[in-house]
Amino acid sequence: MAYFAHKDFFGDTGLYEFVQQVMSGELTLSWYHPGTEPARCRPASAVRGLTYADCNVGTYGYDGIPEFVRGRNSMAARGSLLWGALPDIGYTVNRKSDVWSDNVVALYEEAKTRRWTPAIDIPWATLADAARPPALEAATAQLCTTLEEMALVAMEAPGRWVYLINQEFLEVKSFLCGQMLDEARHVEVFRKRALTGGQGLKRASAPVEQALRELLAAETYPQASLGINVVLGSLQLAIYRHLAAIADSTADRRIFGFSMQDAARTVAYGCGALRYHLAAQPHQARALCERLLETEHTIVGLLGSPELSEPLIILSGGGLESEHRLRGAARVRRWLRRTVEELFARLRHAGLGSYPQESRLPACFANALAA
Amino acid sequence: MAYLSTTNFLDDEAYLDRWQYTLRTGELDLSWMNAATERIACRPQSPRRGLTFRDLDVGSYGFSAMPEIIRDNRSFAPRGAAMPDGLPDAQADVNLKSEVWAYNVEGYYEEAMSRQWNATTDIAWAELAEIELPEAIGKAYAQLLTFLTEVEMIATDVPAKWLGRLNADFFEVKNFIATQAMDEARHAEVFRKRALTTGYGLMCASPHNENNLKFLRDGDSFAEVSLGLHLQAEGMVLTLFRFSEFISPTDADKKLFRLVMQDEARHVGYGMQHLKWVLDHFPEKRDAIHRYLDEAENFVFGAGYCAEVTEPFIILAGKGLAQEHIAEGIRITQRFQLKQIEEYFERLAKCGLPERRERSKLARARELMQAALDTPAAG
Repeated sequence: MAYFAHKDFFGDTGLYEFVQQVMSGELTLSWYHPGTEPARCRPASAVRGLTYADCNVGTYGYDGIPEFVRGRNSMAARGSLLWGALPDIGYTVNRKSDVWSDNVVALYEEAKTRRWTPAIDIPWATLADAARPPALEAATAQLCTTLEEMALVAMEAPGRWVYLINQEFLEVKSFLCGQMLDEARHVEVFRKRALTGGQGLKRASAPVEQALRELLAAETYPQASLGINVVLGSLQLAIYRHLAAIADSTADRRIFGFSMQDAARTVAYGCGALRYHLAAQPHQARALCERLLETEHTIVGLLGSPELSEPLIILSGGGLESEHRLRGAARVRRWLRRTVEELFARLRHAGLGSYPQESRLPACFANALAA
Repeated sequence: MAYLSTTNFLDDEAYLDRWQYTLRTGELDLSWMNAATERIACRPQSPRRGLTFRDLDVGSYGFSAMPEIIRDNRSFAPRGAAMPDGLPDAQADVNLKSEVWAYNVEGYYEEAMSRQWNATTDIAWAELAEIELPEAIGKAYAQLLTFLTEVEMIATDVPAKWLGRLNADFFEVKNFIATQAMDEARHAEVFRKRALTTGYGLMCASPHNENNLKFLRDGDSFAEVSLGLHLQAEGMVLTLFRFSEFISPTDADKKLFRLVMQDEARHVGYGMQHLKWVLDHFPEKRDAIHRYLDEAENFVFGAGYCAEVTEPFIILAGKGLAQEHIAEGIRITQRFQLKQIEEYFERLAKCGLPERRERSKLARARELMQAALDTPAAG
């Protein structure tokens, strides 16, 4: 125990008297005229229901959150009356432009609408019946082992920040909780996929985990969001999209198609948050650019790991024979080129245009992608 | 920089050469193909239920075979995967199974995934927006909802805080915690939205309860936090939801409380099965549990000062502010309070802590309340 009540209430005669007063019908009604804003929000669209956007009114709305949230360090709901000895919960992320994104409200609503359940939304029985070449199944098992590792870290990342982010940013915290749920679903679905194919899990990856650990350990929220939502999220999105495109079964197409939807939301939030952050704090562009330059080697660590790149080549080529591997390598090269271009484009659009010019990745990839 | 990978991959020429060679030639190392892991093909036991975590409880992949102390995995490696040299230490703080495990945690997780609901679309908001509540009822309800909004957000912060601190081998628990965080975000959302459709908006914060929330948030260990949050606090909130359904002013509101109750019951279920697990496997922790509950109950009792919670409840239960309504509201509220405390002790007894009632000052206070209610008023 780290926090205690300021008194032993069982020995507090004042409390007994107060309870006696209320329970004898003499109500205080101290809360009855709080002076807060009356509100009657209505759904703008009956089909869409009552969204957070519909509740964006007056003192309750997110538009009115100031850039610096001062004097609101408790759990009190935004717009309610603060009174008495409210505790300081200990939030350390109190600046709107450190966390906010203009699309976060819509993305939260989307996350709830597009929920799926791995246990029942994937036709597992059809996978169990399908006879697949062992090399392809082994490659899928290895890939799913690595993707489970990545999803586990992506699930932990928002958890590290949610409890540090001020309660006033309710919509952001809610979105991050949805993100945790998405990643829990990915941990689950990739594990289940690996364990249904007859191969079991394969090998954890030292380079992948070293890279993930470095991305996870960001010291500020903007850095963390950049590393996890934009960089890692972009890679996950690209991997899922590629795997959905080359999947040879309905089950795999669904697994990676659904996962892609979730990852796209993460990337959209990450890019939106980065854009908002740089618009409000343009001087941070240099610091974030430096952060990217320091950590961009993790992209190589992730994409270059044998546990990720080799099964991708096998699956992309359709087998383990020489011609398959050559075809797979060619496809993966194209995929890599597009993946890195997309990441750079996102960073440019979000306001980090200087980074691609300073990055060592283009040279590295030019070598790697030279056929 | 908080953590640096053991290698800068852009400076690691051997790493880059190997990767570039692979991409150019399609020549593969394939050592991962020979990973010495168990080869299995899990099948859904019930097609209706789909493929569950319980279906995956096999051999080295399963949770049944997990040891009490996780000694061999401190990384992000999935349980049962081969672990090569060079994996990082993920700095997990919780590596004892008994600190986190609960009977049926995998079942609670699957249930949470299949029972996700949507606060935006599953409540008849358009209908609610047209309902004009009498002022006393409307204000009392808006105040109760303000309190509930406040309470729910702590339950997103607490699980989130611990998720990353648990060893990766406890992924079923981590996944359950992630569902709980989302459940609680949804609860904060639905209570806030309802308050903002009453016509009155949000009302007063509740300082005493916030101090109680801080107590829950700042627990020293996951087991302590779970005892306080899942079992004590959420258990009491579950009883509160049940009564709130009973006293809520419209059918749409009753549905709202039924939905949140479903989620809350799952969290309480986890908390109970976790405490049961702890007591079954580590009876020596019994005294520490009692010491924690002593302080938790002190906070609960101190909530008698929260007029901003008790009084709206009285008005809603009595359906008005007139004297006869207040008298009826007090009668129902007292029954509710007794029931809330009674259910708390019943839950503890079911988990294997029947002696709590003997030790607890809260139990004695409840007996006095009961006796006062059972004694006919003089005159």
